[in-house]
Amino acid sequence: MAKSLCRIVISLLFFLPGFASALQDTIPEDSAGFRDFLVLQKEVPGLGARFFVAGTRTLDLNTPDSAYGFAQVDSGYLSPIYIDFLQAAELEGLLLSDSVPYRLDYMVLSEPASAAAAREFVAGRIRSGDYLVKTGPEDEVEDLVALASNTRYAPVEKFRLKFVSDYRLFGVTLTIVFFFLVAIIMITSMLIMKAGKNKRENLQKEYSRLIVDPLTTLLFEKDLGEIQAMDQSELDSFFPKNLMAKPLYQHELIDSIIGLNKKMKGDFKEKLKALYKKLGLDKLSVKMLHHKNWDMATMALVQINEMDLVEALPEVKKFTNSKNFHVRSMAVSTLLNLSEKVDLVFLRDQTYPLSHWQQMNYLRIIRFVSPQKDLKLGILFDSKNRSIRLFGIKLVRILGRVDMIEKLSALAGGVSDEEKIEILETYAALGAYMESAFVNECLRSENPSLSLAAAKAAAVVGDAESAEILLELVQSETVFRNKLAYLKGLYGLDAARFAEFTSSDSHPELQDIRDHILDPMLQNV
Amino acid sequence: MYSFLFFLILEIFGLLFLVLSFSVIVFYFILMALSGLEMRDFLRKNRFADYGDIITSPIAPGVSILAPAFNEGQSIVQNAQSLLSLHYGKFEVILINDGSKDDTLEKLIRSFELEKTNYVYHPEIETKPVRGIYRSKNMSYRRLTVIDKENGGKADALNTGINIASLELLACIDVDCILSSESISRMVRPFMEETNKKVIAVGGVIGIANNCDVQDGTVTKYRIPETTLGRFQVIEYFRAFLMGRMAWARINGLMLISGAFGFFRKDLVRAVGGYFPKTVGEDMELVVRMRRYMDEQKIPHKVGFVPDPLCWTEVPESEKVLSRQRNRWMRGTIETLQLHQVLRLNPKFGILGMVSYPFWSIFEKAAPIIETAGILYTTILLIVGDFSTIYFVALLLMMYLLSLLVSSFSVLYEQIAFNHYKDKKDLRKLIWMIITEPFIVHPKVVYWGLLGHIDFVKGKGGWGSMIRTGFKKAEDKKNLQEQTTT
Repeated sequence: MAKSLCRIVISLLFFLPGFASALQDTIPEDSAGFRDFLVLQKEVPGLGARFFVAGTRTLDLNTPDSAYGFAQVDSGYLSPIYIDFLQAAELEGLLLSDSVPYRLDYMVLSEPASAAAAREFVAGRIRSGDYLVKTGPEDEVEDLVALASNTRYAPVEKFRLKFVSDYRLFGVTLTIVFFFLVAIIMITSMLIMKAGKNKRENLQKEYSRLIVDPLTTLLFEKDLGEIQAMDQSELDSFFPKNLMAKPLYQHELIDSIIGLNKKMKGDFKEKLKALYKKLGLDKLSVKMLHHKNWDMATMALVQINEMDLVEALPEVKKFTNSKNFHVRSMAVSTLLNLSEKVDLVFLRDQTYPLSHWQQMNYLRIIRFVSPQKDLKLGILFDSKNRSIRLFGIKLVRILGRVDMIEKLSALAGGVSDEEKIEILETYAALGAYMESAFVNECLRSENPSLSLAAAKAAAVVGDAESAEILLELVQSETVFRNKLAYLKGLYGLDAARFAEFTSSDSHPELQDIRDHILDPMLQNV
Repeated sequence: MYSFLFFLILEIFGLLFLVLSFSVIVFYFILMALSGLEMRDFLRKNRFADYGDIITSPIAPGVSILAPAFNEGQSIVQNAQSLLSLHYGKFEVILINDGSKDDTLEKLIRSFELEKTNYVYHPEIETKPVRGIYRSKNMSYRRLTVIDKENGGKADALNTGINIASLELLACIDVDCILSSESISRMVRPFMEETNKKVIAVGGVIGIANNCDVQDGTVTKYRIPETTLGRFQVIEYFRAFLMGRMAWARINGLMLISGAFGFFRKDLVRAVGGYFPKTVGEDMELVVRMRRYMDEQKIPHKVGFVPDPLCWTEVPESEKVLSRQRNRWMRGTIETLQLHQVLRLNPKFGILGMVSYPFWSIFEKAAPIIETAGILYTTILLIVGDFSTIYFVALLLMMYLLSLLVSSFSVLYEQIAFNHYKDKKDLRKLIWMIITEPFIVHPKVVYWGLLGHIDFVKGKGGWGSMIRTGFKKAEDKKNLQEQTTT
């Protein structure tokens, strides 16, 4: 667009009158010069030249084979009108060489005119922009450009494809074609997917039917020892070799065994685990651990976890710091569940922050295994990962590990405020009265969150000094919510002191807070 | 000269419309691809999720459910009971009676044995006066708190609830919404999964309950609505929730969480000053302000989205009510974009400033204006005789096919992911709706949007000069409040 505008502006500049008058000044004033000028121009539209030879001549000016081609008139001979001044100049040269006296007449729009009139006519054409003056000999390229610019553009409709020449229409048409292609691809792929899914579902149903009978027979008719002693040919009679080679059959078999393992108890579980290994499905699970898709790797971890594949733990350990959230979560869960000693070093060394979701899952497993295994929670406090340390403190609280209070106490001085808040909650939950000094230190913190958490803890594990600090804080506090929290802390710690303080001050705000705290319906609000 | 200029302008407009049409196509294709990827990942993740643990785990966060009610006397007791029966360990239900003129409060007091408490209401976020806070002595209703306050609108009522909420997360819902019993446990999952980025809010899908069977707070049988407008909204909701929001969630560019069902981090909502009651688009405005605040504080954050069907609502099926709703939505969008102009193409705000904001400005806010301008342009071309029928038909066909493709994709998408509408008759009706929607309903939606623009210009609803000037900082809403109070 800018290019077009530029072109328009440049064209306008060229057509400025001043520029045109400068060009018309290039027409020579003298007749010889004017002739040379016309020869240089070759043609000027509307202007011509004619020669007149007076009297009767001995030369054959008008015979058919004459080079002159003159026509005889009453007073002499007249040449044709030449619009090509180059040809006219050639004729003039001929006349001169034959020493024929002649007269040159200019023809303006086919009417005889004087040299001055012809000059004025040419100047007028230049002024109006109808004629562009040639100022020097032309080369071939300039000729073509001049011709092109002088010729009005007309598209050759015969060879023009409308859709291609109109870029907008072309774009829109292409998009429509694209839409149709997308729609066809979408529908085709949907149909293929649906057909594939149906086929897969039918096969799954069929395989499931084929799996149920042998599994039931093995579980109810054979004992653990018999299953462990089975050789390959016996296994093949239950689960045919040709079917076992099919991944979908293997998948269905794994799902069935894991499904039953979840539902069954005792000896049946052992039988299923033995069968899983006998059939070589454990190797498939371990192999699937290295699948490029995270969901397949996670599925493998689920299988290892469900089927207690302890021998796969070294492999599982490699995934505890996987960059994929689900893989590392499941790897840690599997390790927590299966490892004999529950050495939490792998958790301590985890570099990724631990989410609440992961904490919830690990907590479930730790709660389950903690009565059977010796959990060394203290190791988590040494982690460089803050979220792991926080989780460790939470575990102490949730598992009720009073034996860890001493360790927490040693830790409490040099940790972040967030960890201090977690420790305060733990002290309150475990009734750690001996830690009141730490509570008082936190009460005096400049971090309001820590101070408020300490007020909450003081209600349970505070001492007389805590009450004094709380009273100081209430008096200096300007934020209503914090004042309420401090007074709640005081009420929980020493109801008599609270009553004494609130009755001594008749400030309406304080009285409102007192009523709020004493209202039994607002105990947990 | 004038003629040259006129045709130059026509040419420029022609190009502009073409560029816009292609941008719409490109954007929608990108959205389709992104939502597909997000849905695939979501379904994969769901295979390994055990929601049973969340209900009892001490690690799971507490949720305060805030439900404003205005003249809901007919259904309030049933709705409150439904909320109290949600499956979750740590939650409270705060019903806010926003100055109802009917017997909403009386019914609640009677049904839940409520008594006025001595709760000392000292608002952090300025609200209309509170007349009383009620709780029950009956332990079965220990989770319920009812606030009775003077009428101040939905945002004001929610702010009152935010002031007294005691748990970490806020679930802001419409009281007449039907919530699945699993809704809380599913919605808190993104908050619990956060690692490097703070999850500040999570949005959920709103299903359409018109003509469906509801049992025990869950839609048991899906049927599409009887009316054209109802059916149109089914497709529109698929497009908006399953396609649009999933795609935006994928690139962390979500700007809107439905006011009918959204979860927020309480500390952050309080930090930014709660809802802005002077805009009709308070839900969108709050999300944008929270995101802006996090960006200004340079804290990496995320707005999550859960595509599980967990909440259902009745959508308006009358033209009058729907037109009012669309008008309000348009004004809300304009007001939010005006209030947060600083985001516009501002790289400091990442995807929010460089992609989400321009997208909303062009394809949501300006869409009715652009479409009307397109009609005017075509009329002018007809008058001056520069109209190309073949080009016009091709362009129309292109946009129509886009509409068909996007709508079909969202319906197919729903079928693959959830497959709620199992009846073939329902599917046929939906397909018919997809084919006819661009001619029957879309022009009306454009018209209602245009009326929204006109009403905004007239200053209806919004807070005139404030909205025009916009917030200079995300915390300005709080400062504004302090100034008003003092």
